[in-house]
Amino acid sequence: MAFAESQNPLRVHRIPQSRYIDAVRWLSPVSPSDRFAAIAYFDADTNSPSIEIAYVDPNPQSSSPTLTPQSSWTSPSRISSLKTAHSTPQPLLAAATFSGSLHILASDLINGGVMESEATVSELGFHSGPVSAVDLREGGTECVSVGEDGRVNLVSFVGDSSKLSYRRIFDANGLVGYTAVKWASPSEFATGGYGFGIQWWDQRTSGGPVLQFKGNWCQGKTSGIVHSIDIHPSRKHTCLAGGSSGTVFAWDRRAAQQPIVLSGAGTGEAPNSLLSESEVWEVQYDRYTRRSNISNISSTRILPVMICSEDGILAVIEQGKQFLKHNYYELDRTIAKVETYIKRSHC
Amino acid sequence: MPGVSSDSARGALVPLSPESPAAAVYPLRHGLKSPISRLSISWSRGNSLRVSVFAAPSSDGSVNDGDGGKVVEVKLGGGDGEISEAHWRRIAYGSVSPFALLQSRKNAVFSLSKFSMNSSPYDGDWWDYIMEYSKDINALLVNQKSASVPVLDDPKSVITKGEEPTSLKAAWELLEMFYAEKPSHSWLPERLVDWLADYDSLFSGTHPTVHSKLVDFQKELVNLQVVEDDPKYWEVMSSALAVGWLNIVVKMLRLHGSYRLDQLSNRETENGLVEAVAVLISKMPRMRLEHEAGKLGECYKAKPDFAWEKWRGQINKLDSSAFWFQCAHQQTREGLRSMLQIMLGNANSLCSATYNWIELYISHFLYMRPLTVGLESMYSLAQKSIQLKPMASAHRLMGLIIGILGENTEVVLAECLKGFGPWMVAHAIELLTAGSDHAEMLLHEERQNLGGISIEELHRLVYAQVLSSFPLTWQIAPIYLISCMKHGMVLLQRLLSKQPVQDNQLLLKSIEICRLYELHSVTSNIMKIAGVHHWKHGRKGSGVFWLQQARDEYRLNRIALQLFDSVGKTISDESFKQWEGLIQLLGSDSKTAGGLEFLHKYRDFKKSLRQIHDGKATDSARQAVESLISLMKNPSTPQRFWLPLLYDSLKLLNWKERPLLNVSQTNLLLNKLQELSMARLRPDFIESELPPQALNSVRLALGTNLGRAILEE
Repeated sequence: MAFAESQNPLRVHRIPQSRYIDAVRWLSPVSPSDRFAAIAYFDADTNSPSIEIAYVDPNPQSSSPTLTPQSSWTSPSRISSLKTAHSTPQPLLAAATFSGSLHILASDLINGGVMESEATVSELGFHSGPVSAVDLREGGTECVSVGEDGRVNLVSFVGDSSKLSYRRIFDANGLVGYTAVKWASPSEFATGGYGFGIQWWDQRTSGGPVLQFKGNWCQGKTSGIVHSIDIHPSRKHTCLAGGSSGTVFAWDRRAAQQPIVLSGAGTGEAPNSLLSESEVWEVQYDRYTRRSNISNISSTRILPVMICSEDGILAVIEQGKQFLKHNYYELDRTIAKVETYIKRSHC
Repeated sequence: MPGVSSDSARGALVPLSPESPAAAVYPLRHGLKSPISRLSISWSRGNSLRVSVFAAPSSDGSVNDGDGGKVVEVKLGGGDGEISEAHWRRIAYGSVSPFALLQSRKNAVFSLSKFSMNSSPYDGDWWDYIMEYSKDINALLVNQKSASVPVLDDPKSVITKGEEPTSLKAAWELLEMFYAEKPSHSWLPERLVDWLADYDSLFSGTHPTVHSKLVDFQKELVNLQVVEDDPKYWEVMSSALAVGWLNIVVKMLRLHGSYRLDQLSNRETENGLVEAVAVLISKMPRMRLEHEAGKLGECYKAKPDFAWEKWRGQINKLDSSAFWFQCAHQQTREGLRSMLQIMLGNANSLCSATYNWIELYISHFLYMRPLTVGLESMYSLAQKSIQLKPMASAHRLMGLIIGILGENTEVVLAECLKGFGPWMVAHAIELLTAGSDHAEMLLHEERQNLGGISIEELHRLVYAQVLSSFPLTWQIAPIYLISCMKHGMVLLQRLLSKQPVQDNQLLLKSIEICRLYELHSVTSNIMKIAGVHHWKHGRKGSGVFWLQQARDEYRLNRIALQLFDSVGKTISDESFKQWEGLIQLLGSDSKTAGGLEFLHKYRDFKKSLRQIHDGKATDSARQAVESLISLMKNPSTPQRFWLPLLYDSLKLLNWKERPLLNVSQTNLLLNKLQELSMARLRPDFIESELPPQALNSVRLALGTNLGRAILEE
């Protein structure tokens, strides 16, 4: 489509892995040429989940980049969510598992990427069932975890204590389940869940969300689950969310209870705006292609958004524009996920 | 899966050979100390067995560490020794899109041929499509761990190690050259020569081969001072020449001592003879499609009868030349002349230079029946070669070759299945049926003994079954299942319905596949199962969501009753935030909310009540009354909530300024109260947890309100 627009021609490299990839994140680079990624694997043959730090060599002798494993950490259960905090050269990783535990890992990228488990919460009652999402506060010492059990926990960790303390911010007793979470500021964060609902929380205010974006707004049409939320540091009033049925929407907290739909559900009138009918697993503001001119975009417009979906689509969406879309016809979504992140290194 | 259905030999879908290999023994490490009282064995994922071991309870009733039981998984079979499981999965995933593309092209070609009656469906681009398919699949079979290629050409290295060959790739290339390249059968013998050059090493494991002899000689070569004195040097060269590896032979000839500068003058004639043979070898006329760079031999696209006669004439001339008497070195003389005999097609020389029947067979093509065109008499020649070089055990590739040469589709299929498994059969059928009407009839005919399906469908189903049983590959099984006309759809529905719903990602994947194939009823079934699962595990919100998505009013109404139980207890002002989210999820559409619609109105009512407490008086009170009336009128409001609702509204009923309810409204509420009093007499009535005087205080308040309302009107 509109590939010519972007300055760097889009190149996609496929790095097939023999194991499931449950999650993958870039680690902040130590130097411009050294790129590391944290990958949560699940080996179905041996039933063993692990997290590996891999060195991504973008330009080796062969034509495609290679992943060189640096270190590995064996997880007690499959990873349901993985987030990183960008501190160099020792980035922190927060990994949540399907068995309901949370692990804070520290990796030393200068000394061969050695990974150590800093702390763990695995006690009964932290979450009942899987932790569905976590988010690490940027540069901070706090991590928020949510689950379909309706619990919202705030985990604080300081340096060397191996036992984490956590505070229950809310317990919806399963009446509401949360499937995504994202920090907005040191005290505020947003969660997402069923029926495309979004909740806005302030940890200084107890007893539930401060503000709710009504779920089930696409009444009558197929509703779905929010899989991913992003909040731009310069525009905290807007929550960007992606989920089922190719839906990508934004909720402006200043505005009424009306979503700004970028793609998918509730956009019957414009056939163009359906990017994918599949699950949108990740949404992120595209902080790479147009770094400079954010200030030029009016604050009511949604900044360009990057998404990846189950049917292997990696796309950049701009409000009111055609999609910059790349389709892999790839069945394995995990591969698509890797590529989302690999691609960013080239931008 | 083949083998699973073997419980009765008659009903077996896939025939199993009765001579099963020796029983395999898998040791179980259960670590139980007590004696084992019971074993339970079931299938786990893939080809693993799950064995549950129960220990006998200890006699004195005490509980020890090793008591109880243990569940262990036993992985059966080592799979294919050549190809790791990860590589198999890559092949499985990679072959999906060529397969799907070919199926859609096939469908297009067939629907086109329906319109134009006189054109065969296999015209034009058809062979291109088949060839593209075959090449795509072939590219997947390349071994991942390829050996590094040396940068410098070592003059003493006679064989270069390329990528490690696999039997699977060898088998696919055989099928490709015989079935997909059918229009180019004239070059078949030369293609076989190339094929053997690539894959001769595969036979080395079980049989002596030219390749293994070369490898052995290569090892000795480093220590040899005078190669031409070693009889093995000549033996190996004759063998390599017999199977047409001309480059290797010429390279080896040039290692001959007479080429060395210090000896050139003494052994001039000898060197001349060696060089003459080398030149003759490199001028051998060959019928090939294209000339590969660096490959020796003169290539002709059509049958080069004249060139061949001329070349043979030159060999004869050299053979009867007088120079041989001047060659002093005996081994050189004899070695070179036996090489000439091979090039002249001497049956005995060929037989002694080759080590197994395939090599002998190939040498016959090269020198006994040069420039053979087509398949004719290829099979009888193979039979003859086998008689000359009988073998105790056949390699899986050899069985396949005999099947192909015998033009027996059933044997080919059976050999594919036996040697290479269901993946091979499912994909090879496309090649087998490509150009042969006979094979197509055979494989597409619906058979009673297979339950009305064709052999093609059977093998696709078997392959899909294998894919389905592994958690990493089940999601590509649908592509094979939908290509099965008879049973595919039913099996796809079963596959999707059987996927576990605990994991959201898996659940969403199943729903996605349902969407692709428009299996709406399966979708709603899966959603119902997921809804009930979540509900049972206390994730009420998730449960309600999935049941709503499935539009399952029946179950929503059922769980509504359970929900109301907890509403009665827990909707207090503090816990209201918990309910808020669920009520929002329900939305106001009564169709998707089922009996839960009540919750929505109840929330509105509670909200207005709370606002009264906050002090925003009359307007909120009016709203609250409206909500109350609409709740009491609505048939979906459960009876057991009537009294709590009215008790909550006492403040409204006793509103100080003026009566908020008019006469008819008050009458409605009084009637409801009466109904409730009657209902209390029934045995199944559920008493609400309110103070005992609640009913009376509500009745009193309603009575007072009625009086005030009448006065006001």
